Amino acid sequence: MWRLLYLFLILCSTVVAQNKPLLFNVDDLPQTLMSNPGAQINFTGHIGIPFFSQIHISAGSTGANLYDIFAEDSGDINDRIQETMRSMDSRDYFSVNQQLEVISLGWKLDRRNYLSTGIYQEMDLFAYFPKDPAILVNEGNSNYLNEPFYFDDVSFTGEIVTVYHLGINHKFDKRLTVGARAKLYSGVFNVESTGNTGRFTTYTTPEGRNVYNHEVVDLNVLVNTSGFAPLKKEANMTVEQATAELLSRSFFGGNVGFGLDLGLSYILDEQFILSGSVQDLGVVFQRKEVENYRYFGSYETSGIEPLFPDLDENDQAIPYWDIFEDEVDRNLRDRTTSESYTTWRPVKANFAMEYGFGPAYLPCHYLSEKKVRYMNLLGMQLSGVKRPKGFVYTFTSYWDRKIDENQRFKLSYSLDDYSLTNIGLMYTRTFNNFNVYLAVNNLLAYPNLAKAHSASIQLGMQLVFNDNNN
Amino acid sequence: MKFFSTFLTKIISLLAISVSLCACVKDVDLEQREDIMLGPQVQIDLLIYNIDQSKFMDPETGDLKTRISDTVRLAFLDDDYIQKDLTSVEFYFRHINTFPREIESKIRFLSNENSEQFAVNYTIKPGAEGKPVTTERYELIEEERIDLVRRSIKMVVELEVQPGATAFQGELDFASKGLFTFKF
Repeated sequence: MWRLLYLFLILCSTVVAQNKPLLFNVDDLPQTLMSNPGAQINFTGHIGIPFFSQIHISAGSTGANLYDIFAEDSGDINDRIQETMRSMDSRDYFSVNQQLEVISLGWKLDRRNYLSTGIYQEMDLFAYFPKDPAILVNEGNSNYLNEPFYFDDVSFTGEIVTVYHLGINHKFDKRLTVGARAKLYSGVFNVESTGNTGRFTTYTTPEGRNVYNHEVVDLNVLVNTSGFAPLKKEANMTVEQATAELLSRSFFGGNVGFGLDLGLSYILDEQFILSGSVQDLGVVFQRKEVENYRYFGSYETSGIEPLFPDLDENDQAIPYWDIFEDEVDRNLRDRTTSESYTTWRPVKANFAMEYGFGPAYLPCHYLSEKKVRYMNLLGMQLSGVKRPKGFVYTFTSYWDRKIDENQRFKLSYSLDDYSLTNIGLMYTRTFNNFNVYLAVNNLLAYPNLAKAHSASIQLGMQLVFNDNNN
Repeated sequence: MKFFSTFLTKIISLLAISVSLCACVKDVDLEQREDIMLGPQVQIDLLIYNIDQSKFMDPETGDLKTRISDTVRLAFLDDDYIQKDLTSVEFYFRHINTFPREIESKIRFLSNENSEQFAVNYTIKPGAEGKPVTTERYELIEEERIDLVRRSIKMVVELEVQPGATAFQGELDFASKGLFTFKF
């Protein structure tokens, strides 16, 4: 048993990840099973209100916020953009994640097993700040002579998928609960460009043939897309129309993938609980509506050289420009293909340790098997998401408090790349069997979101059943 | 206990209402997006050559040709980003001469119909074998004259050797570049 536990914790700590930490280990909410299929749960059935059982959106930018760019009465906006771009680096990133639960339901199979299933749609966009290309476009090469502009900085991923899932939560014994969730992905749209290489440099050449020498070395930039090619054919399509078109394909995307979530929770002693999960260990096979754009090669030039040929008036001039263009095209090439590719989903993982105090005598717990319940839980959670240049981590500490049998809140403080003052609050309330919840991150930023580097919200409503006789 | 529960409920409700009422975006002026522009300054090499006396010889008679020229089409001058977004260009021309005579340099920019838009003419100072002499020239074309560059598509380099008694032997090295400033 301990070996299994160690193995799992090692897996979690090496692939540690983030995803909606406020809903992690909230045993009243079915959504906790989506971030940890092996969570301890405190309900015997649930039916989500279609399209409203979970609405989640989060967005963030580590390097700049709205205020940095659009501050009132702070001089020229273009100076601020230049200053902001210079202050950011190529590991700064922008991210947007949105999820919408379409269907969500679950029921207790027997005393040990809980089955849950559903459909949700997810959009995930993640882009590192392409510092060098961005500065080249915004400022040009004049102030950056002899400094290479790296195309390695171009790194982004984006996808829209519909996920069909089926999970089992199994109470192994009094201490250990394990769970797994199988996922079928239906890819609606995907774009990715990672692992690019190449550099462009303008060298000053005091001993050279011209003032400068322009060099492109080892250029290799690949942009893979699926679901994008048909959009290109629709002339004059606005972003809103394109988004609507993509979402309308949600159920019939065509690019199929498979994935798995794994999770467990373990009661160390009466008061300490360990839990961990890994989500979206999965791939999507991009085979339909695929287009790949590749730019590659090396080239250097110091200019065009006229030869002063001995021509009379009837002779054709040498087509220097055409020759130059041909030479560039031979050496710096682009190619559009339709080769299938495989994308890994952004793996997420969570590891949490909780300490419970203030024993609960709630009716729903008193006779149930899960006797170890407390009115208060103090916890620490390490989480992260695998991104192209490494893991993005979040460390969260929280106080999880049951107010009474129908109400609960969770107050959290998180450290992440976005902020050192991320305070979050989750509140859930159940009226008979009707449950609503709201979770908001980065509360301190809400008085002025323009100065926030990130914001996140999850809300939903559902029917949750708790039949203690089962 | 009941008092504590009620108290917590009220606090959380108050907090939730405060957050939802207070959530706003302020101290920013999004209208400024209309003013956003890219302003790259791009250094681009143009033409180069390195010629000796052989380029000035008439291949049939072997006599000295005092005037030679060549034309290079700079097709990028017709591209959209030049036609719409170019605001100024600073050209730089440099000759390094070891010919012992003055040479008149004419650099002309022509339209597609070979109509001269502007020209940069100057005298290349004489040098000597082992003693190259550098002649440099800058030409700034600012916003009020930028249409001259936009209408240009050909660059003509022309050299005219000035009379002199010394033997016409040596090398002439030419470098040129442009600092193109854009506002996108």
